[in-house]
Amino acid sequence: MRKTMSFVFLMLAVMCFAVPVLAQGEHAAAGTNWVAITSGFAMAIASAVCGLGQAKATAASVEALARNPAARPGIQLALILGLALIESLALYTLVIIFAKVK
Amino acid sequence: MSIDSSAATSDAAAEKFYSGAMDRIRRFMAVIGVIATVAVWIVLGWKVATGLALGCVIAWVNFYWLKQAVGALADRVTATGRRQSSGGVVARFLLRYALIALGAYAIFRVSRDSLYGLLGGLFLTVAAIFCEAVYEVVVSLRRGL
Repeated sequence: MRKTMSFVFLMLAVMCFAVPVLAQGEHAAAGTNWVAITSGFAMAIASAVCGLGQAKATAASVEALARNPAARPGIQLALILGLALIESLALYTLVIIFAKVK
Repeated sequence: MSIDSSAATSDAAAEKFYSGAMDRIRRFMAVIGVIATVAVWIVLGWKVATGLALGCVIAWVNFYWLKQAVGALADRVTATGRRQSSGGVVARFLLRYALIALGAYAIFRVSRDSLYGLLGGLFLTVAAIFCEAVYEVVVSLRRGL
């Protein structure tokens, strides 16, 4: 029963994607701005990965600070520089998007 | 004994040198920001230069708030300094993005050229960190730190 329901939901999901594709005419497909669409995905992926990177760096730094508070100046400096550089990676993506999307 | 004391002196000098990195980065940001704005004004005109100057200011404020937020976080973890609310720390961290978005939107309404300048100005922090890295390599090789 569970397998059958999984199969039904899977087919429903596939049909949800399939119906708009079938409804599109030839002209609609030709006019799609793929650069804008892929730019959105690129920004989303860049933001998500940079967020993960910042979270990992912050978590590691906080753990190191809690273990060894005497090493605070070095850890704090490394964390600030790391966060600034990780943020700049998302900015690179934003700049490329602005350069490409007209 | 003298070797130990000379090693200790060298360590102290190295620690003093590396602990000044944050102040040096801020100074690099100021110098690079002014030079880049003047150069862009001459080469590309006032519109791009205005955007670049605004981007540099936002990058400066962004870096300052990042430092403040990390300092507050470290205070909280090590239970030292002034105790701040966790909501305040997070709000300060997120407010930086709002500032960038607001600046970008405001300048986008004025001119697209200025927007390119603003995006260039946001990389001021990276340029300053790069300069600091080069400076540290040169000084540490020269002084043997």
